[in-house]
Amino acid sequence: MAGLRLSKITIALLLLIVCHVGPSMAALFNQLPKTLIVTATTKSGDVLHAGEDKFTVTWALNTSLPSGADANYKTVKVLLCYAPISQHDRKWRKSNNDLKKDKTCQFTVVKQDYSATGKHEYTVARDIPTASYFVRAYALDASGTQVAFGQTTDANKKTNIFDVVGITGRTTGVFVSAIVFSALSGVALAFFYVVENKKKK
Amino acid sequence: MAQAMEQSKPSTLEMERSSGGVKFKMPVDSDHKATEFWLFSFAKPHMRAFHLSWFSFFCCFVSSFAAPPLLPLIRDNLSLTATDIGNAGVASVSGAVFARLAMGTACDLVGPRLASATLILLTTPAVYCSAIINSATGFLLVRFFTGFSLASFVSTQFWMSSMFSAPKVGRANGFAGGWGNLGGGATQLIMPLVYELIKKIGSTHFIAWRIAFFIPGVMQTGSAIALLLFGQDMPDGNYKQLHKSGDKHKDNFASVFKHAVINYRGWITALTYGYCFGVELTIDNIIAQYFYDRFSVNISKAGTIAASFGLANIISRPGGGFLSDYLSDKFGMRGRLWGLWIIQTLGGVFCLALGRTNSLAGSIVVLLLFSFFCQAACGLTFGVVPFISRRSLGLISGMTGGGGNVGAVLTQLIFFHGSKYSTEDGIFYMGIMIIACTLPVILIHFPQWGGMFGGPMPGRTAEDYYQSEWSHHEQQKGYDAASMRFAENSVKEGGPRATGSSHSKHTVPVDTSPGNV
Repeated sequence: MAGLRLSKITIALLLLIVCHVGPSMAALFNQLPKTLIVTATTKSGDVLHAGEDKFTVTWALNTSLPSGADANYKTVKVLLCYAPISQHDRKWRKSNNDLKKDKTCQFTVVKQDYSATGKHEYTVARDIPTASYFVRAYALDASGTQVAFGQTTDANKKTNIFDVVGITGRTTGVFVSAIVFSALSGVALAFFYVVENKKKK
Repeated sequence: MAQAMEQSKPSTLEMERSSGGVKFKMPVDSDHKATEFWLFSFAKPHMRAFHLSWFSFFCCFVSSFAAPPLLPLIRDNLSLTATDIGNAGVASVSGAVFARLAMGTACDLVGPRLASATLILLTTPAVYCSAIINSATGFLLVRFFTGFSLASFVSTQFWMSSMFSAPKVGRANGFAGGWGNLGGGATQLIMPLVYELIKKIGSTHFIAWRIAFFIPGVMQTGSAIALLLFGQDMPDGNYKQLHKSGDKHKDNFASVFKHAVINYRGWITALTYGYCFGVELTIDNIIAQYFYDRFSVNISKAGTIAASFGLANIISRPGGGFLSDYLSDKFGMRGRLWGLWIIQTLGGVFCLALGRTNSLAGSIVVLLLFSFFCQAACGLTFGVVPFISRRSLGLISGMTGGGGNVGAVLTQLIFFHGSKYSTEDGIFYMGIMIIACTLPVILIHFPQWGGMFGGPMPGRTAEDYYQSEWSHHEQQKGYDAASMRFAENSVKEGGPRATGSSHSKHTVPVDTSPGNV
């Protein structure tokens, strides 16, 4: 009897834990209201260099909304997102309506506490790869789930797309080393052939 | 038991060891091939050849599959598409198709030491240049040329078949091939580790992956130099000196080529090897991304799971070799063939199961089972290959090895290229293809030993079989001497009945007359 009671308690405890700590409901992109107006100083076709160039992103709550629309907005997260042309034939950048699986926006520009308007100057990080981008901002609630968004481009992600040129990583040191090591391999081979032929004689 | 018999007759052991006036550390047969396999020894020249052989091949594998674990970085640095990656994957295994054939011939003509060292040193520049590529084309080219180094597989099998006697050749080939293939798994751990280390020292990610490629490059160069310094083609010396002294007849390419292509068994093993080894190469290329994308594990985890597939080679492929030798002991060549067919077919079954398993844990378990059977089948294949031809051993090994790569090319093109099939469906269909393409093993038949269905033809001997590769004229000149010694030493492949009650592992005549009569 005591054993049964104990297992009932265990089940109840487990349920309690699961209900609190379990995965929160995934946010779906097509259900997010576009309540933020996001603009950036980049223009369509601009080319920015990673690690060097900057742009400023501004976001503001759409003033035509009824007051209290942003009641549950706790944080703003601004991200750099791939334009469709850079997602083509690259399933690791695929858009997914389930935001937990969405891979469109992989780089954070800024994350800060929510205020009805905000502005941030961003130097394009050195790890941003060469691709075409737009900027999107999500409003997050207390649990970190997206509840609203805004972006610099239109619904089809065709306008205001700008390019980033990433670093190549091909430093002079690497370049020279590669040539030198390759040449050394050839020299080693030639050396052994000469020695072999000398031995034969 | 045979061991005990031998050890109680130190005089005969002495005779065998010092036959021909040369003293070997290991017991040898009349061909001076080792009749024992001491895995942790470096005894010259047999075990030393083994270690040089497997390690240099291991380095080639590390280089050829160095890119897949770093793809998440490389694809962003070079702006690669999935098609670019797929093409490079195909390229990485297609170079070796012809290189393996060329390698087989080169071994027959100049010996495995020079052939493999030359290939390995000529391909290391491709590894170093992987650090300086800047486009999808560059990526494809370096993977293509680096992949040529996988042809050194042929020289390992050829070399082991030259150094180890029939009863041990299966396991020697199995360990050499398996521990080499290990590189495909080890690299999935090594490259991310090296990359992280370089980043920690202070490099940016797009520079760090480039520097990381110098590790496989240096390993490869070093192993080739070791081969040249410490290796030896045959128990009695290198080809060059053996040709000079007349101990080894320098064969001509046309005859070697002819006797390889007219032997249907080599074509069958070429096909079936495509569906154990070819499949292994395919998995090395796609499995990390499969786990990363399907089960959303992170890069390190995906790399570790991918590594486990290749790392199983440490025992699975040698296990196949052991099994082949064991089955030969019990049933002769017929046992080797049955073993090959059953194990490879089971590999196919686990492959199609992998494509239909939906849980992460289940997939890992099925993957491990699949890897054991798939790689053991590779070991079992090269338990049979050394017997298909003696004159054209190199080219037959090359054809089989090349066939392995053809299988990898075909499989990747059909199932893992573009978006026609999801990866899990591709894996499922690949399993079906494995089962289908393993059936031809049923057709292999040796007149002197039989096949899976059908026993040996009466009156046919191994001597006849291997002698038929030489013309009358060549036989008169004694060019077939090595083949005849091989035939003698392969007596056990006829099964227990062929050797009668004799369980001696050495076929050199033993003085059994009691000494005190």
